[in-house]
Amino acid sequence: MSVSVAKQGHVHGAAGGSLVHDEVIYQETRDMRLLGFTLFLVSDVVLFSAFVFAYLYLRNTIDTWPPVIDGKQLPRLDVAFAAVNSIVLFGSGVTMHYALENWKHGKRAAFDAWIWATIVLGTMFLCGQGYEYAHAQIGGWSGSIFGASFFTLTGMHGFHVFIGVIYLIALYFQTRAGVYDQTHYFGLTAGTLYWHFVDVIWVGLFFLFYLF
Amino acid sequence: MAGLGAALIGVLALVALRNDWKATGLDSNVTKLLLGLMALGCVLVLIAAFGILPRGGS
Repeated sequence: MSVSVAKQGHVHGAAGGSLVHDEVIYQETRDMRLLGFTLFLVSDVVLFSAFVFAYLYLRNTIDTWPPVIDGKQLPRLDVAFAAVNSIVLFGSGVTMHYALENWKHGKRAAFDAWIWATIVLGTMFLCGQGYEYAHAQIGGWSGSIFGASFFTLTGMHGFHVFIGVIYLIALYFQTRAGVYDQTHYFGLTAGTLYWHFVDVIWVGLFFLFYLF
Repeated sequence: MAGLGAALIGVLALVALRNDWKATGLDSNVTKLLLGLMALGCVLVLIAAFGILPRGGS
């Protein structure tokens, strides 16, 4: 790494050597932070997997699905509404991708527009989730296995989205404060990875609760 | 509406995936994996929107 940086020939002398050293340190710490962040995402996959397998186990223990409560079978969830809400979340993944790409190319105004589009879409998804919670006829959190599993898993996901929205707002203000530049932007990379991650977790939950 | 949105978002995700295809490094590879899975999610929404597969349950 130090060789490749030195070969660029932008820096010379003692000050240049210090800059090369700083760059090497940055790259090494960036690689470590990236590995750590990826391991964090993997640990989150394990967390969701545990709840998903618990849900699948419980679902297989009863004869009819959705379960019967007080002699009446619970209705299925509204797949049409969830499909629209899913597209809102997946769309936010695309806007976040374009935000990072614009940052890499030094287009600050476009970056601002795309990251705010992501924040707005993420907030819309959370509002949609809230609406669905208010209208889902599946017996509440403690009313049935279906309700307990649904509210636990989607609630955990919704909490991740909420944290993600806060994270993106913080990233926006960090960019305003000059924390990142065009070549040093690990926070934005981590934010993008996290946002894609919550998108992908929703892919699994959407299949599990609305299609399966 | 969800079907049209899924088609649009799915295509954009695949275009982003194609543009990043030759990028190397852990972050790029994780991004490619996540973009691919997001495109799969769009396919699932298309399935739901057009009722291609019967829903589970008993």
